[in-house]
Amino acid sequence: MSKLYNPFILSDGNKPSCMQMLQLILDGEASHEQEAYFKSHMDQCSPCFKSYSLDIKIKELLKTRCCGESAPTELIEQIKMQISQNATS
Amino acid sequence: MEETIKQHYPEKEKNEIFNNEFLPHISSMYNFGYRLTLDRDDAKDLVQDTYLKAYRFIESFQKGTNAKAWLFRILKNSFINDYRKKTKEPSKVDYQEVEAYYNSEDVDRQITPDLRVESLKDMIGDEISNALNSLDVDFRTVIILCDLEGFKYEEMAKILDIPIGTVRSRLHRARNLLKEKLSEYAKSMGYKNTEL
Ligand SMILES: [Zn+2]
Repeated sequence: MSKLYNPFILSDGNKPSCMQMLQLILDGEASHEQEAYFKSHMDQCSPCFKSYSLDIKIKELLKTRCCGESAPTELIEQIKMQISQNATS
Repeated sequence: MEETIKQHYPEKEKNEIFNNEFLPHISSMYNFGYRLTLDRDDAKDLVQDTYLKAYRFIESFQKGTNAKAWLFRILKNSFINDYRKKTKEPSKVDYQEVEAYYNSEDVDRQITPDLRVESLKDMIGDEISNALNSLDVDFRTVIILCDLEGFKYEEMAKILDIPIGTVRSRLHRARNLLKEKLSEYAKSMGYKNTEL
């Protein structure tokens, strides 16, 4: 296969490593061009392929397991009260 | 606060900004405070303190801009200046090392080849949360901002006052440490670590 144009290559000519590319993809920091390139890269690179599904899963778990708790209502009330006191004083 | 252009808001508008742009982020802020301090009472104090500061400095906030990032930055600074100083010793992490590693060829070496997607499926309890909490606070912070709150690298760089390159390397290191921890849990849960 002829060498595909690699949109990950930086302006200084350096090519990011697999894990660096993967990170940009995972965090939604890659351009459409880079995403397309990475998809075809993943077909031929098993470390990327394996890490990709693992990393996505961990990111998903973090989001569902570590957020979602609401701030206590008394905290919100307390803040509002202090603000209105400060504003009037 | 990086924009020093002062706004002038009448009292009524201040309250509108506070209620419509600041308060909607309070649960994210509380979660951030909790993940930093690992204590719900400390989190409350930190959040309250942050909101009072935000109100006091409201004229450094430009209406309609990224309130969430602005608030997170205040909370993070309060944590470092007020909270961390009195309770915790400074970070022992060598960030130059973290960065050098990230920019080396070793970065592609898999650190935890035994962690598999299948073993994560059984982590339905507090494993993920505990693994996150066990990380050094600076590593924990980048994961919270990126994976829990969905901030972009550029926003994270502003919140943390570090270059984007440092955001990337820190995030990479943080995720590897998290995987190591998860892999320990997977082992203790009796997983046979078969070859990938
Ligand atoms: Zn690869």
